[in-house]
Amino acid sequence: MKFKLIYPRWEKLEGQTIFNLPPHGPVVMAAEIPEHVEVDFTDENVENLVIDESPDFVGISMMLTTQVKRGWAIADEYRKLGKKVIFGGISTMLHAEETMLHADSIFLGEVEGRLGEVFKDFSRKDLKKIYNFMSKPPEMNLIGPARRDILNKDLYYHKGFRMVDLFHASRGCIYDCYPCAVRYLGGRGFRPRPIDRVVEELSQMDNNRLFIVDNSLALDTQWEKDLFKAMIPLKKKWVSHTIEDKDEVLDLAAQAGAWYVYQAVFDTSDYIKNRIKQYHEYGIAVEGTILLGLDNQTEDDIKRLVDFLLEIELDLAEFTVLAPFPHTKAYSDLLKQGRIFDTDWNHYNAGKVVYQPKHMSPERLTELFQYAWDTFYKDEPQSQKMFNLISRVVTRELADGTHTPRRRDLADLSFGKQVPKLS
Amino acid sequence: METNPDFNKYMDQYFHYLGQWESPSKCGLKVVHRKDGKTLIIVTEIYRQNPGTPVTEWCAPLATRIMAEFQCPSDRCIFIEHTPDLGSKLTFYGETFDLVTFQPEGKDLVISKWTRLNPEEVDSLMDE
Repeated sequence: MKFKLIYPRWEKLEGQTIFNLPPHGPVVMAAEIPEHVEVDFTDENVENLVIDESPDFVGISMMLTTQVKRGWAIADEYRKLGKKVIFGGISTMLHAEETMLHADSIFLGEVEGRLGEVFKDFSRKDLKKIYNFMSKPPEMNLIGPARRDILNKDLYYHKGFRMVDLFHASRGCIYDCYPCAVRYLGGRGFRPRPIDRVVEELSQMDNNRLFIVDNSLALDTQWEKDLFKAMIPLKKKWVSHTIEDKDEVLDLAAQAGAWYVYQAVFDTSDYIKNRIKQYHEYGIAVEGTILLGLDNQTEDDIKRLVDFLLEIELDLAEFTVLAPFPHTKAYSDLLKQGRIFDTDWNHYNAGKVVYQPKHMSPERLTELFQYAWDTFYKDEPQSQKMFNLISRVVTRELADGTHTPRRRDLADLSFGKQVPKLS
Repeated sequence: METNPDFNKYMDQYFHYLGQWESPSKCGLKVVHRKDGKTLIIVTEIYRQNPGTPVTEWCAPLATRIMAEFQCPSDRCIFIEHTPDLGSKLTFYGETFDLVTFQPEGKDLVISKWTRLNPEEVDSLMDE
């Protein structure tokens, strides 16, 4: 049986550096597909999709809200050819009712131990409309190594530099952060993977640079310490979300290869200032993630926040405007107040304003979003700041013998597309 | 009925319901039979203790179930959605009360609108 697995493309934010990372959802899903099924994967962000009659069964994996409309269009085409289409992934769960209108089947929840049943049903021509495993998370020890062999790895290089691979060591989160849907998607508890399973998967990965995509590593101190201790011998270099602010944890993280973290910067407090300083003391760089357009931000607050980011010497900053994704507190608050004016999901890219901000017009927020990017990167462009970070990790890799040189044969390609050759 | 030291003047019991995709879900509940014959219903989002669908996302089906269980016709009910303060660093992410008004649609209710109330207004609705 031939299973065509597709990761739909989405429009990237205008004027920003494009990085296409190898997707995580499809490789986690593929690990659970029965062995007798041949998997043919297309990531539309880096290669063209040819829609034809060759697959027996089609799967569409969607992570972002900005992917759903393209995913639905692809499904409509395949269904016109008489092919059965199943959807899964984060944004399938966020947009389940709408997705059902374009699907023969939708899969809700986490896949481990569940896909055998789906493929058996397909073979018996008895595919269910919904496979609903929401609120029924699998045993964490069932999560095995993802199937990264389905990826065309050469497509995830920019001018010969390999992108990080995505990896996860836990699921779920205990917090109810305002813009986040994890409480809906991953349940309201923290579910760490057993450390030996994490190490097993990390050991098999041929990429030395990773993005640990867990919502937060700072949710269970002992597990976090055990994880970092177990990672030290692997000599990986990695990016992650928040790490706990305890010195012994940060020390272990640095030894385990912490390269830089994404840290939410939501105000100009000493807490934030000290947090960034503390990371830097352990040699861990910081990319600030800054959400603009929250109800407590006036124009002056946004300008002051940008000045503050420069003052605290963030290594990188990523500005977004609030996007009220379904199943978030932000969505329900703005919905209750009748402030959402745009429900075109293609616009939910965290760069377009789709709601009425409290203290300014949507147009003014758009201008301040641009102001934030321009001001932060005025003296040193984003590409230079990124180069600085890469130089630091290369130095560390050269020191511990893990460095892989840039691929010269891919030097004139960026994510599979021709670009001017580097000298 | 479960009891809990965290119960407060806006919730004195838990209410279990099947939320979206039949997820087992749970909220706080207080039902006040007022002197004027109306019934005040306060549902509280209990965040981490709710394993399933948040009350805001399931408000109309949840209201329908509670009204049926407490034998309260929708035109005799005052329905309030309560989200407690979680101690967020975001100043606007605090405790909120919203009066929810519904319109009947066949056998179901659909939400007409949410109206923000302050705690004093809720307290006075409880006292009437």
